[in-house]
Amino acid sequence: MGPTDVVEDYEPNFEAWIDQFNDWQKRIGFDPAWLGDYRFEIKFDWDIAGDTIEFGDFEGMPKWNRRMQVPQQSIRDAIISMVSVQGDTEFASVEQQWHLLDSAPTEYDRKSAMRIMCEEQRHGWQMAYVLCNYFGEHGIREAQKLIERNSGGNPQREEGEAQRLLGSFNEPIDHWLDFFMFTHFIDRDGKFQLKMLSTSSFKPLAASMGPMLKEESFHLGTGANGIRRIVKQGVIPCALLQRYINKWTSTGLDLFGVDESTSAQWAYVYGIKGRYDEREVDTPAVREHLNEESRMHYFEELKLEMERINKSRHEGEPELYIPSDKFHRGIGKFAGVHHTTHGEPFEGSDEEWQEYLRGMLPSDEDEATLKELFKQEWIQYREWKE
Amino acid sequence: MRAYALLNIDKGRLQPFFDRVPELFHAHHHSEAQDPKGYEELLYRLYRPYTGAMLDMVDRWAVFDERDWREDVQLEVMLFLYAIRYPDTLLIESLSDKARSDLPRLSSYLHFTKHTYAIWDEDTRKGLCRLGIEIPPLDSAEPYIYGAYISSIELLKDIAPFTCFLEHDVPRQRLFQAALASWGREGDD
Repeated sequence: MGPTDVVEDYEPNFEAWIDQFNDWQKRIGFDPAWLGDYRFEIKFDWDIAGDTIEFGDFEGMPKWNRRMQVPQQSIRDAIISMVSVQGDTEFASVEQQWHLLDSAPTEYDRKSAMRIMCEEQRHGWQMAYVLCNYFGEHGIREAQKLIERNSGGNPQREEGEAQRLLGSFNEPIDHWLDFFMFTHFIDRDGKFQLKMLSTSSFKPLAASMGPMLKEESFHLGTGANGIRRIVKQGVIPCALLQRYINKWTSTGLDLFGVDESTSAQWAYVYGIKGRYDEREVDTPAVREHLNEESRMHYFEELKLEMERINKSRHEGEPELYIPSDKFHRGIGKFAGVHHTTHGEPFEGSDEEWQEYLRGMLPSDEDEATLKELFKQEWIQYREWKE
Repeated sequence: MRAYALLNIDKGRLQPFFDRVPELFHAHHHSEAQDPKGYEELLYRLYRPYTGAMLDMVDRWAVFDERDWREDVQLEVMLFLYAIRYPDTLLIESLSDKARSDLPRLSSYLHFTKHTYAIWDEDTRKGLCRLGIEIPPLDSAEPYIYGAYISSIELLKDIAPFTCFLEHDVPRQRLFQAALASWGREGDD
């Protein structure tokens, strides 16, 4: 099969997918008119993708440009799975966030959120393109699934629709505090995933990551700066903010997956997903603990970011902190084990633990308090809107 | 990518610049002269419907002389700000002489209202020239020159590696424009 055949065979399928994508936008509540002049483009950075497999058992061999060059079906399946999960999260975040546009605190925030949603859709579009154009019928089916599911956090969701693949992408993002937390904590996880795929042995996947990472940096900046502006304004008490930080930190940490993950190990063996700093380190990977290592890099980055955010604190407000990686975990060796936000074992009954959690995580009362605070100038530069 | 082909950019020549974009951006954007807090405030304080007071805020930040525009010229510029769509610059030609002749000021208004247009800055222009992108000085109000200037910055954004992109909520055009200004000044040393 020559390259021309591939294009002729699969190009129309991506075009058919685009029609389905247009329907998806309407179905989930995203008005296509909001895109304005924005056009979805397929972007590859082939230079940065590299020509030679950089790690794993195929290290030193040429990177795979096409499906048929991938030596085993299990590797093809693993690539499809990674691309599908990545694409799933991109569309999910739009489903979770589109309804916030009307309540943006400033016009710039609205534009930033819109830009983030456009770019997340472009990332999903890119992943669908890779699936449709490189993985035949299997890829096309997976690309369709990307726009068949609907986030459990989408207020416009029909009963019976399949949920998104990862838990935090089915959580509601009810207000702008959650939006900034999501872009700071969860998009940061996204940055880690993209960077780990940027050295992939499957070249079209690696080449997709550079342009996506460029766009992701603005999303993270929006989240971090939004939280900083809230802290600077001093209307929402730091004690209340801390509970949201506790919630989103544990959610973000869980997204890195299980400890001693065999699928992460296989992905490394296949060369399809590397370490976060794969090109910067020359030490061999500890293949049994790949998820743990990425998670720790993420955790350290969160702590550094929080130091920056703390500089905007009003006098007398308690210092904000990133809770221990043992606190409130749903995945990994600390899942179900009771630890305080400072990482100490919690000593007490299950009832006492639930009581402790109520004090450490956002409650219905906090949500009600926030609703009232949002009527004030709760964030720096807010335009006053009656 | 049309501009890329036309300009026949030497990507090797860009690498030393790309290697230092974050540091160069910080040197310019976070300098006292650039008043980064004032810049940030403008991103949030300018919104529709635009007012003369908003334009005054931009003038103060950019340290421009006070505008001596008649009311109708100001109205014309406001309408222009609503109408223009990135990356068009030819609409500038439709403005009356008084407004059109002050392109640095117009570029600042465009930047803070649209966020996609880059602020015209002589150091930035020199920075582009150092990279082999010859943008002439702005001796006359020439929308084509400004068009080439913003297209070149867009082009650099397009081909820069992701390591250039800071986690910052400033528009990406500002990231590159500010880094280029530092780069241009270094060329003077």
